[in-house]
Amino acid sequence: MNLARDTSLIAELMEALRCLPGVGPKSAQRMSYHLLQRNREGARRLAQALAAAAERVGHCARCRTLTELDVCSLCGSAQRDHAQLCIVESPADVLALEQATGYRGLYFVLMGHLSPLDGIGPEDLGLDRLLARLDDGEVSEVILATNPTVEGEATAHYISELVRARNIKASRIAHGVPLGGELEYIDGGTLSHAFAGRKSL
Amino acid sequence: MVMNQRARVLLQPAYVLHRRPYRDSSLLLDVFTPEFGRVGLVARGARQAKSRSQGLLQAFCPVLLSWSGAGELATLAAVESGGPARWLSGSALMSGLYLNELLARLLHRFDPHPELYTAYETAVAALACGTAGAPLEPVLRIFEKHVLAGLGYALVLEHEAGSGRPIEAGQLYAYHLGAGPVRWDDETAAAPADALLIHGASLLALARERFNEVNGLREAKRLMRAALAVQLGAKPLASRRLFTPTAGGAVSS
Repeated sequence: MNLARDTSLIAELMEALRCLPGVGPKSAQRMSYHLLQRNREGARRLAQALAAAAERVGHCARCRTLTELDVCSLCGSAQRDHAQLCIVESPADVLALEQATGYRGLYFVLMGHLSPLDGIGPEDLGLDRLLARLDDGEVSEVILATNPTVEGEATAHYISELVRARNIKASRIAHGVPLGGELEYIDGGTLSHAFAGRKSL
Repeated sequence: MVMNQRARVLLQPAYVLHRRPYRDSSLLLDVFTPEFGRVGLVARGARQAKSRSQGLLQAFCPVLLSWSGAGELATLAAVESGGPARWLSGSALMSGLYLNELLARLLHRFDPHPELYTAYETAVAALACGTAGAPLEPVLRIFEKHVLAGLGYALVLEHEAGSGRPIEAGQLYAYHLGAGPVRWDDETAAAPADALLIHGASLLALARERFNEVNGLREAKRLMRAALAVQLGAKPLASRRLFTPTAGGAVSS
């Protein structure tokens, strides 16, 4: 049977599953048969969850992260410190920071980074909304937690200039040697950066 | 082309100009090398958590690359550090991104430019010093001059177009982009339509790569903008927008 020409529901399911990262034809086939043969109930739940999420999830009006609410639960929480604002590149970064750190402030999600060679400029990152938020006067510290890549660094620098022009404190997360690592095996870039950013004890 | 036929290249010095995510765990690299010019490479698995090449495959970081393959995209085989890593920050970083965009926009793939590579290396090193406070603008102007020369459109800076008389520091010139500077005696008159007015001192400063005064830099910038605009065409450089985070106002678009 030639799957490429097959228009059956099963073939369509396999094709649809391939939009997931890391899923090729073989994995799509395994997933499809698993759902149909062994877990119909799971398949229905998956279908409903997907449909509902694709339909209703949008962006938070305050921090631009993904949420089905107008204002996400973090921004809406009264227990968070509204004076601190942490700027990250993606919603996954929010989750990572929430799980790993005791940070109690709020977030702003850029949904990307400045990248001139890809044609992504300041206006593509919703910086106007960030500026409006800074001008509210509620924020007293901005923590720049963009990725330690060239683009992430450029984004952090660009935003820090805007933040400082408003007399708000800007800080950048530290980069350096991974915990439990051995200096010998760390790449030169990380090591030299860690060395340059050493702390006095 | 001969160079990209199933070639296996070993330990070629290189700088990454740009990288972007590709598939699940790979990177698509645009690198600049002395012998092969601008090369497109796929770094398979470079974005995996375990990958140690990820830290090295950053812009402005000198590396030694080995790759193999034919066609537009070769496959990266190995990465090694090619010297002490430099980390640009602040406006030096923005300037560095500008250099990279110039090269990515203007150089063709597999066109070797060994002199331009040396100029790039010098410029990146100077920008790294700029992170510590040295002025950045001269670095950019000098690099722009080398880019134009590398493309075969070197500016005439030391003698007049036509007559070939040496440029005098105190004299005003009308610079015709296609031809070169021509003596311009009327200080008050507007420049002719296809030329811009520039002082001899500024031309000489650019030629000798030594800028002593602000006016020279400003004039050199105007000249370079005009000369590069011819090569770049209608699409503006995106990195120029990063230089003007407005002090108080909104983000300019």
